Amino acid sequence: MSATPAIEVKSARRTFRTSGGLFGTAREVVAVDDVSLAVPAGSVLGIVGESGCGKSTLARLILGLLPTTAGEVLVDGQRLDGMDRRFRAELIQPVFQDPFASLNPRRRIGDIVALPLVAQGKFAGAEIGRKVAEMLERVGLASDMAGRLPAELSGGQRQRVAIARALILRPRIVVCDEPTSALDVSVQAQILNLLAELRREFNLTYLFISHNLAVVEHVATEVAVMYLGRIVEQAPTAELFHAPRHPYTRALLASVLTPEPGLGVPDVGLGDILPDPANIPPGCRFHPRCPVAIERCGSVAPPLLAAAHSRVECHLAVAGAA
Amino acid sequence: MTDIAVVSVTTAGPRRGWRSLGTWLGAAVVGITLFAAIFGPWLAPHDPFTQDLTRRLLPPFWMDGTDPAHPFGTDQLGRDYLSRLIYGARISMLIGIAVTITSGVIGIVLGVIGGFAGGKVDDAVLFAITCRLSIPVVLVALAVVGLLGSSLTLLVLTLGLLLWDRFAVVARSTTMQVRNLDFVAAAWCAGCSRGYILAREVLPNIASHLAVVATLEIALAILLEAALSFLGLGVPPPLPSWGLMIAEAKEYMFFSPWVIMIPGVALFVLVFGINLLGDGLRDLLGTGERS
Repeated sequence: MSATPAIEVKSARRTFRTSGGLFGTAREVVAVDDVSLAVPAGSVLGIVGESGCGKSTLARLILGLLPTTAGEVLVDGQRLDGMDRRFRAELIQPVFQDPFASLNPRRRIGDIVALPLVAQGKFAGAEIGRKVAEMLERVGLASDMAGRLPAELSGGQRQRVAIARALILRPRIVVCDEPTSALDVSVQAQILNLLAELRREFNLTYLFISHNLAVVEHVATEVAVMYLGRIVEQAPTAELFHAPRHPYTRALLASVLTPEPGLGVPDVGLGDILPDPANIPPGCRFHPRCPVAIERCGSVAPPLLAAAHSRVECHLAVAGAA
Repeated sequence: MTDIAVVSVTTAGPRRGWRSLGTWLGAAVVGITLFAAIFGPWLAPHDPFTQDLTRRLLPPFWMDGTDPAHPFGTDQLGRDYLSRLIYGARISMLIGIAVTITSGVIGIVLGVIGGFAGGKVDDAVLFAITCRLSIPVVLVALAVVGLLGSSLTLLVLTLGLLLWDRFAVVARSTTMQVRNLDFVAAAWCAGCSRGYILAREVLPNIASHLAVVATLEIALAILLEAALSFLGLGVPPPLPSWGLMIAEAKEYMFFSPWVIMIPGVALFVLVFGINLLGDGLRDLLGTGERS
């Protein structure tokens, strides 16, 4: 196998301007702030974080749906911007969160799944039909589904259609942006198992975004935790779940609901202040909510502590290491 | 109760349109008017331009002293009123459809481009829409008639080049909504070109909204033509336009009220029918989803 990572993000930054109206001042929201990561071919990088932390923006940067404000994204060692759209489609494909929004309600299932093949412009009609039927069967849908409209399918079936569309070109990388969050719990496991099977079968690399820690622990080989646009901790899955080093990671793990109803929602000591990506605190961006913050956290940005397979950005992790 | 509501929502869409009486009524009115417009020369009992001053202002068939040869009577110049009404339908439908096609092409192209591209392009489109909205249609029509004289072609062009604002606004806002849906992102990731995404992913999903606007615009153009003709700024006499018929009849309305009533009712029924059909179209072209 080549040493080239399937996905490599180098100091990517993405900002959005919000209009302040006629007399207000425009504000700049930093959705992704100096994020670097590498996903080795064949692995699954899980990205977790609360809503608004920039994980979906990161997915869109990696898919080429949004340009980076600064930094660059390499897919299979090649720069994403300026890449031929057909070539890009053969490399990387998405599975989105909401299967009700990710399928065109006016096209039949067969046409939806065939779209990447049609866009390539090099396949004959009969070949497309055969490949679509094969792929539908592979994701667990009857081939007579090809003539139906998305409105006639259930959420789980629609997500299978989205997966079939993503894999029909046999891409090497699939970006799954919360692929099970919109589904019933009973269907979630089926879709996760399908994704895992397909990964083995087609030797895929996944970037797997989720806010559900249990799902990420189940599928990912490595996990990155995002907070306010930055990756604050990244480690192999087992290590991150058993020995979290960043206080935010610890809080996330503690916030998982227990099955006992009497315990209620766990209090993880983060307070009620929600982070505002347009107004990022100085120093460590997590310090206003951090239960163990020290004085330095409010003024000095924490250094990146990188080891071979893990990294963390926290002053206290330095102290802990020392 | 909730069960019934849920069922009616999920089975809505393609079928609900034809189940409603309004759709049928609207389709019937528009169908009859179109038929009259297309086959006018064969349907009209008389020539709509032939004057007969000895047979002026004959009353219609439901009044006393009528002439069976003129079921809707005659106007102040003795022209057969039914024939003029039928030929007037031609003018109305022609103007309604021609104006809507012209303005539709302009408005949809501008709106879709602005909504899809966003940024500076969208700012330019918004500016164009704002400029257009600040121009009063009647004043422009007055200026055009004053400078170039009145003709049917000129009227169609004037209205067609002015009435695209609603198309542009609706096309722009619906395109912006659809553009941000994940299936457009998926098509982009699938390697589709911009043009393909616009034509096959975006346009079909905004078509039902545009169809509703189109029906409204046809009705609006017909009403505007009538209003302009009433003011003497529309089609030139002796062309039989419904608005012109109302204008010509207004001096006689106290003694022969039917001369103003017949084209007035025709205008009302046609515009009403077009609007009913528009409502039905919206339901018919829905996808059955209410998301």
